Amino acid sequence: MTVLSSDLPPFRRADGPDKVTGSGRYTADLSVTGMAYAKLCFAKVAHGRIRRLDVTAARELAGVFAVITADDVPDLLYSPVIPDRRLFARDVVRFEGEVLAAVAAVDAETAERAVSLIDVEIEPLPVVNDLEAALKEDSPLVHEDWESYEATGDTPRDRNVATFSSITKGDAASAMDTADVVVSSRYVADGSHAVPIEPRSVLAQWEGDAVTIWTSSQVPFEARAGVCETLQLPTNRVRVIVPHLGGGFGGKCGFHFEAHVAALAKAAKRPAKLVFSREEEFLAPDRRRESMIVELTTGVTNDGEIVARQGRVLIDNGAYVADAAFFPQLAAMHVGGPYRIPAIELEASLVYTNHQPSGSVRAPTAPQACWAVESHTDELADAVGLDPVEFRRRNIVHTGDEGFAGQVYGEIGLDECLERAAASLAASVAEVPLGSHEATGVAVSWWPSFGVPAGANVKMQEDGSVQIITGAQECGTGAVMTLADIAADELGVEPSDIRIVYQDTAVAPTGPGATGSQTLLNHGRAVEAASRQIADQLRELAAAELEAAAGDIVLADGQAGVAGSPGASLAIADLAASAAQADLLLGSASAPVPEYPTVSAVCVGDQGMAAWLAPQFSCHAVRVAVDPDTGVSRVLEVHAAHDSGTILNPIGAHGQVEGGIVMGIGQALTEGTQLGEGLQRNAGLLEYKLQTIADVPTISTQFVEIDTPNAGPRGSKGLAEAPNVATAAAIANAIRGVIGSSVRTLPMTAERVWSTIEEARV
Amino acid sequence: MTSSSEHATSPEKNAPAASVNHVELTVNGVSYPLHLGTDRNLSSVLRGEVGLTGTKEGCDDCECGACMVLLDGQPVNSCSYLAVQAAGRAITTVEGLAGDDLHPLQRNILAAGGVQCGFCTPGMLMSAEALLERTPLPSDEEIRIGLSGNLCRCTGYARIIEAVRATSVELDGVRRSSVTE
Repeated sequence: MTVLSSDLPPFRRADGPDKVTGSGRYTADLSVTGMAYAKLCFAKVAHGRIRRLDVTAARELAGVFAVITADDVPDLLYSPVIPDRRLFARDVVRFEGEVLAAVAAVDAETAERAVSLIDVEIEPLPVVNDLEAALKEDSPLVHEDWESYEATGDTPRDRNVATFSSITKGDAASAMDTADVVVSSRYVADGSHAVPIEPRSVLAQWEGDAVTIWTSSQVPFEARAGVCETLQLPTNRVRVIVPHLGGGFGGKCGFHFEAHVAALAKAAKRPAKLVFSREEEFLAPDRRRESMIVELTTGVTNDGEIVARQGRVLIDNGAYVADAAFFPQLAAMHVGGPYRIPAIELEASLVYTNHQPSGSVRAPTAPQACWAVESHTDELADAVGLDPVEFRRRNIVHTGDEGFAGQVYGEIGLDECLERAAASLAASVAEVPLGSHEATGVAVSWWPSFGVPAGANVKMQEDGSVQIITGAQECGTGAVMTLADIAADELGVEPSDIRIVYQDTAVAPTGPGATGSQTLLNHGRAVEAASRQIADQLRELAAAELEAAAGDIVLADGQAGVAGSPGASLAIADLAASAAQADLLLGSASAPVPEYPTVSAVCVGDQGMAAWLAPQFSCHAVRVAVDPDTGVSRVLEVHAAHDSGTILNPIGAHGQVEGGIVMGIGQALTEGTQLGEGLQRNAGLLEYKLQTIADVPTISTQFVEIDTPNAGPRGSKGLAEAPNVATAAAIANAIRGVIGSSVRTLPMTAERVWSTIEEARV
Repeated sequence: MTSSSEHATSPEKNAPAASVNHVELTVNGVSYPLHLGTDRNLSSVLRGEVGLTGTKEGCDDCECGACMVLLDGQPVNSCSYLAVQAAGRAITTVEGLAGDDLHPLQRNILAAGGVQCGFCTPGMLMSAEALLERTPLPSDEEIRIGLSGNLCRCTGYARIIEAVRATSVELDGVRRSSVTE
């Protein structure tokens, strides 16, 4: 059964009342006096050379304040790792959502009409839309001048290959010869989308030479850096504020349209606001889940022991690299999987195409790669006649094991995740036996934690109330709200005594924001460290008053007491009041980055993705029904077990797992970008189907809590992305159990399942 | 920073303009005399002229449910409903749910953990309110059907179902005790 909130300790999210009453403002809800309405003009062709871009008629339309193009902003290439794109297209367009121009007008309708008056002529160029064909010597190039880009790092690049990585340990070819059984599989995953329910919005207002930008971003500091880089502004003249954020799932990571709107507001000489339509939200951001081809060959002994694996992964980068440079190595880690494999040889390439750019959508590369490798794993188990759970039991990494890339793991809970999820499903099947077209499926997965610098300021005010100032970004998970619990615990006060100021780059110390499941791991460590500074001050103050050693002072329940002396205590609020007359209670910390482990495998094109800090593990076990006449699959139950270290916020943690699983069901069954000549054909919610409340199964979640050293605060790891990884894989294995063969394309739509059934009949 | 007035000014356009009518809209019990183009959708007027931005716009196509409001108690996607058609009817938005205290649905959805990013929440609450008005003690299946027009990308829905169930039981208890008294 789903663990309900009544079984969990209460969690107060400070942004909750705002969100349920409608008083909370999201970016599109804001306006300022004199504000213009912005609209972008997109290429609408996948690849072409701009022959004419004439904005004269648009500029002359009554009610239009400004129309800007590449000629109106600094002419430079940007993007991390491989600067390969401009704010506005110049000469060549490489995907349909590329921005040609931006309009500011008196209202949205006039802005739209002005965009329609922009005279555009684009000469079509050959569309690169096939990953295999893009690798051929005679393929057209997405970037003719790729060699001139000033890439950082040592990643091999070649023509349409934007980045390449390989992981090699031992001699896989020779080891393969020793195997009793060798299985080869090929899987193809379509791209998909983050689809936050809030379409993004950006509002920019200049005051003198400084600009304030309100934006729906998961990463305000990265957004600020993008604006500074592209508009050539010093950091302290750009202030990024994120009002309530209506979901992101990675789609709102990175730097997107903040600079376009800032430049437009400058040209219009008035504030400007951009609000995306749902279609624009599908087409234009450089963050979508990448399509992927995975080819795997694995050798096993008759006892079911994996002895070698060789694999190749092709990843659709789309037209520009955005943040995807590290995807090959990450995908390689996922097609290796959380298994002990003594000899391995994996290659992965990020391939330029004329598609929307790929980027970090919730656990980038992982759900697709996990779907491929875990489908392959069931084929291996079949080949040696082992039950899928037993096969995994014999090959997964346990505490103290060396993973295939040569990292030795400390205490980890994958084996327990496998046992608990499988047992939970088995108990359900014992109670309600499988129906005639039902089967179960299991998949294991893993995901790294990312340790990066982050700072926090904490102050205790004269009445004992506390203010946290953090660069963390609340995207809905509740992770930022949980920061109050950490500070409260350190300071011996109630979470309700704590207010959190967040999502304003002008006041908060830098941090990663809501990306890579990092909020608690990094911002949490900073808040913990800053709170401890104040706690130490409080202990010193109390020790002097109570004539005790500072080390004996215990801060709890709003009191500073002495360990072992129940009678002696002072109210923390009183200590705060006296401190307000002397040394103020201020904490400011940048928590040290945890030490990263090392690996022994040879990594070409190393992007730092082979050595995993505080790896998270999970197992999802599902019951699925398939209608053999229609191919429609229905997920009936998901039993999840996760090792994400210590769980700090149980309701939030369950919410992450449940939400991740339901997103995973969508990716498994319905969510896939359909493309024709490089253009998206289902850029709307009617055509691109999310799971509804009527579709969702019973979800049971268990946490294997391991107090993990060298990780997040209180032995925690990340959790936001991991729940999204294993679901599609487990569903694939259940579908295979019903229909008898693997569906080798993702999503496993009714049509594809039905076709697989029909092909097996022939 | 104030809420937006998206269409307060009407520029000259080359496109044929819709005719402008004097309309009185009653939102959460308050009357708003307005001059509106006949082509204006209800959500843009609620968010613009009326100044209540709790009603969200997620798709402009009746697919996500974030713009759900009640018209005489019936849930409608206000993105695809003409504002002039709402004249003379009681419009309820999420801002009209709470009295001095939070509405039980609001309280319970928070307690259950059914709110994450919160963008779908107003629409979800309005659909739930309409459901409980017509079906005071819905089964889980009825809750699923009643809320199936509201997409949530964060929560996986289970805690939303729980919140609606808890509210139905709570309100039923209130009704029973008032009958007993």
